[in-house]
Amino acid sequence: MTAAVDSLRQQLAARLLAARRDDGSWGYAPSQSGASEPTAWAALALSTVGEPDAAAGAAEWLARRRQQDGSVSVTTSLSRPAWTTSLAVLVWSQAGEVYRTSLDRGVSWLCKATGEVADVRLSEAQHDAGIPGWSWVEHTHSWVEPTAYAVMALRAAGRLEHSRTRDGLRLLADRALPSGGWNYGNTQVLEHTLRAFPETTGVALTALARLGSQDFVERAARFLETELPRIRTPLALGWGLIGLHAWGRRPADAGAWIAEAAEAAMARPVNPLHDALLLLAAADKSPVPQWLRRGEGTAAP
Amino acid sequence: MSHAHEPRISRRQLIGAAGLLAAGGAIGVGGAAWKRHERGLRAEVFIARAAGYDCDLVAAIEHSLDELGVMREEIRGKRVLLKPNLVETAIGKQHINTHPAVLAAAAEVFRRRDAAEVLVAEGQGHRRDSLLVLEESGTQHAIREAKLPFFDLNHDEVESVANVGRWTSLSELHLPRTLLGADFIVSLPKLKTHHWAGVTCSMKNFFGVMPGIVYGWPKNVLHWHGIPQSILDINAAVRPHLAIVDGIVGMEGDGPIMGTPKPVGCLIVGRNLPAVDATATRVMGLNVSGVEYLVRASGKLGPIQEHNIRQRGETIASVRTRFQVLDVPHLRGLASV
Repeated sequence: MTAAVDSLRQQLAARLLAARRDDGSWGYAPSQSGASEPTAWAALALSTVGEPDAAAGAAEWLARRRQQDGSVSVTTSLSRPAWTTSLAVLVWSQAGEVYRTSLDRGVSWLCKATGEVADVRLSEAQHDAGIPGWSWVEHTHSWVEPTAYAVMALRAAGRLEHSRTRDGLRLLADRALPSGGWNYGNTQVLEHTLRAFPETTGVALTALARLGSQDFVERAARFLETELPRIRTPLALGWGLIGLHAWGRRPADAGAWIAEAAEAAMARPVNPLHDALLLLAAADKSPVPQWLRRGEGTAAP
Repeated sequence: MSHAHEPRISRRQLIGAAGLLAAGGAIGVGGAAWKRHERGLRAEVFIARAAGYDCDLVAAIEHSLDELGVMREEIRGKRVLLKPNLVETAIGKQHINTHPAVLAAAAEVFRRRDAAEVLVAEGQGHRRDSLLVLEESGTQHAIREAKLPFFDLNHDEVESVANVGRWTSLSELHLPRTLLGADFIVSLPKLKTHHWAGVTCSMKNFFGVMPGIVYGWPKNVLHWHGIPQSILDINAAVRPHLAIVDGIVGMEGDGPIMGTPKPVGCLIVGRNLPAVDATATRVMGLNVSGVEYLVRASGKLGPIQEHNIRQRGETIASVRTRFQVLDVPHLRGLASV
């Protein structure tokens, strides 16, 4: 299986490289203009297979797109939203001192950006609306995925102890579903507790990596271990495995699942984000400790 | 407050911001006031009986379109975009999403009417993994069998258009290029109650064309600006051409995802979406004046009064099936027919 996965990794990497645009970016599809999210994950994924030039080109593209206030927006055609600033910071954090200015400006923007808060625990939602996480779009509520990305970025940039990182960690703990895992970020609406999603759960577990297991982390990991055996789509399987792997809990059959998912992906039109996530999920060693080590050193925080 | 970030908004605003409340709920424009605005507006809505998903749905939709005058000459050579309602999935919860049999039947009908291309497009509001939602809802199998292309609107190329509706304060809307390139746009919603908007049907279905990369998951910007107002702005910008409502098995109670199945056994079809949704509301035995987006749409985007809607096919009374709504203050006007 190892040889088969290696072969698929090479194929995924080749396909990603072929989909790269002349300016060093990736779109959500090869026919689309460059977008920050697929560019960031493609760069980080290609770094796991020894393609530093591609990663450097992506970091440069993201740096060129940095706006005056330090943010990086989702696409070239829009200046907002800029939730993708977190992903740009994550990429720059892996590039040593080359992008120090971009990184510092991005971190500064992230530390100021906050989802809207209120001083109530909403009975309708059962989550603490007073915790300032990160929103997808400025001046709206905080949600799990953008908060997890911001936590990853700030940790990779060495800001684990920053109050905003701590805010983000509190929010992730607060939004964990009682049965395990996360959805987009509502735990309960009116009388019903909502369902967890594998892809969001994987993103949140990745953001929490190495911080010491707590009950909600254990429940989330078990949720993924139950769900992933039936899932072969790149977003849910990819993020689910990246999250588990970050906690040293890679399932024994993960290689076979990735092989099946990659084979199916190869039969579909190229999707750089999907290929990047499968590539990250297929890495022998979880890339997450490497991302965080840059900011936090080798000792577990 | 012990933390550094002081609250800047009220509880009510926050509830809306969290996607938890249709701003304004079922209040706002009073009955007599809105009724004056429909003078001269008329629409036709066709109700087709369909007892189950194994019925001849192609025939039912063909007959509906014939009766409404949506003929081959109008469809020939056009790029037809079918927008089902896919939200999220759960094992055994088929009633959350538009049934794939309705989607496949609609596609077949437009192909028979010589559409140049029929495509399926969705940007579901809760989940990023479109492929998984397609698989688990059964839609993937249906579109593969019918060789229908699928476009993930959450991750599509985006173009900005002016917000012509101006029900919200948004100056522009960012729409997917795939949608803007379609010649004929069809809403294929599920007949459901909604715990905040009261009803979710053909008009609210267009929340799903707003790209997630710009509006997030959930599309919280739209909640923030008011669900009813956003529904109207999006519909005014998109200008859909037709709705075919999957009312074979709907959802009552805590919709759009946590409610219970409700068999009704019909399809509701029409060119004017406020009229279609008003009829759908009546089919559910609910009070149209309790649905704020419909009240606001009245006379602006279409008629909602029963006497301004020419009812074709089955009568409302013959298919009316009383849907339960949650016993919460903001929905009490909806239930009091």
